Amino acid sequence: MSDGLTARLKSSLEQRVDCSAVLAAPWAALSADELSKRTVELERHGRVPLGELFEIKGSPAGRIRFTGDLSRADRLAAGLSEGTVTVEGNLGDEAGLGMAAGALVIEGNAGARTGAAAPGFRRGMTGGELIVQGSAGAEAGASMRRGMLAIGGRAGERVGLGMIAGNIVVFGTAGENAGLWSKRGSIAALGGITPPASYAYACTYQPIHLRVMLLRLQTLYGIRVRKRQLAGLYRRYSGDLAELGKGEILEWMAT
Amino acid sequence: MKIRGVVIEDTFAEAFTMRVARIIITGSSMRWVRAAALKLTGFATSVIGCKVEAGIERELPASGTPDGRPGVSVLLMTMSKDDLGKRLIERIGQTVLTCPTTACYDGFPDAADRVGVGSALRFFGDGFQGSKVIGGERFWRIPVMEGEFLVQEKFGMIKGVGGGNFLILGRSAETALEAAERAADSMASHDGVILPFPGGVVRSGSKVGSRRSKTMIASTNDAFCPTLRAVTKTALPDEVNSVLEIVINGTDAASIASAMRVGIDAACREGVVAISAGNYGGKLGPHHFHLRKIMAGDGA
Repeated sequence: MSDGLTARLKSSLEQRVDCSAVLAAPWAALSADELSKRTVELERHGRVPLGELFEIKGSPAGRIRFTGDLSRADRLAAGLSEGTVTVEGNLGDEAGLGMAAGALVIEGNAGARTGAAAPGFRRGMTGGELIVQGSAGAEAGASMRRGMLAIGGRAGERVGLGMIAGNIVVFGTAGENAGLWSKRGSIAALGGITPPASYAYACTYQPIHLRVMLLRLQTLYGIRVRKRQLAGLYRRYSGDLAELGKGEILEWMAT
Repeated sequence: MKIRGVVIEDTFAEAFTMRVARIIITGSSMRWVRAAALKLTGFATSVIGCKVEAGIERELPASGTPDGRPGVSVLLMTMSKDDLGKRLIERIGQTVLTCPTTACYDGFPDAADRVGVGSALRFFGDGFQGSKVIGGERFWRIPVMEGEFLVQEKFGMIKGVGGGNFLILGRSAETALEAAERAADSMASHDGVILPFPGGVVRSGSKVGSRRSKTMIASTNDAFCPTLRAVTKTALPDEVNSVLEIVINGTDAASIASAMRVGIDAACREGVVAISAGNYGGKLGPHHFHLRKIMAGDGA
């Protein structure tokens, strides 16, 4: 079986680049040559083929692996609806914007608004799994409707802003105002969180669905889940009570 | 054919196609997992009177369950798809939902036929329930006084086989029972099969219909009743004074044949005269398990 495609950054990015068109469906069956012809938008120099920035190799198998420092690459995997995309290092802003299916795995840090809603759209992620092994910037998972966002490190402020539904798991600390204005949806915080004032404490218990979720993250994506996190107790806060109030923050009790 | 002096009769067990669901129950400890599973599989020996046949397939280690807690796998079987859905909702709703710490998952995730279970039970949550989609599967979180009951939305259904069987013809009630116990023990935890009767053993094997009543669909298998030897057309050798039956249901014919091989071998011991099987002349059930072929390793 083919390992899929690899996309190696030829030289470091000197300006920000909009990659939103690169993995628009259908991409999973495209050859390296075909994908090279898809365009990206350089902040100063305008539209260029992807192949000018990346050396793309391999054969299509529904998977692509990006290597190099992509801190200045924005909106990669926006609207992703198929396949598995892996980024070996850091990635810029708005990765996985409004993604609908498939998996985006960022092995480093991700910028702001990861998995959020595209400008002008009411819904963020509507499906798929977005895994950030490192930390994520502000407003990750904003307006999420469905799917899973896991952040291995810390999450910036307003993670899950205006969530409609879906799941966010933050293994590090979660910034201020997590889950603000959410309707439904779950934010599981395993590294510390201060729920907004519009969330109300419900109880301390062991949410079984979270075990299923954590085991999946561990098995499929290699995220380290401690036994104490798996079998531990969580404080449940309901909110945002200024909205529908059917959402929740699950705060792991470390001790 | 003889095994350790026990005659393996040249006959076959006749079995039927049934619909099967596999239910994975987990809990905080085996105490509560077993408590739920025993209730779930209670009063489920035969579709004749119970509408459903069920049993514990095996215990599962924590590493083998969706939520990393200890569990059991249960097979629940009916004659039709519609029936299976109804029975799953009734039984899971009354026995697993009610049991402390448990959660309930589908054990046939790849089955194309799926029936809504959590999607019906969620209404117990009275609007406070919520769902989670994890890995493409929807789970319902139903708030209960203890905390939350987690149940998968849909359960897979496959075609299985019900009514695999063999009869242990003993010189005495004691020797027949000892052999039956050994057979049942040897088949416990055999993948893909359940023994739906008490302790895995049936003392009241039946024939189709009744001599006296047109409405009865089954009545005592008089040909194998030792007390009727003198007044009926008996199937018993002279020295047989007690007969016990082992009924085996399974996910497929091969699993049943494999379990029968193990069980019959365990039953062939001192005090057992012969091993026979129940059939209806081969005209009712599509699955025929020939004892001698099975014991010769030829399968069903």
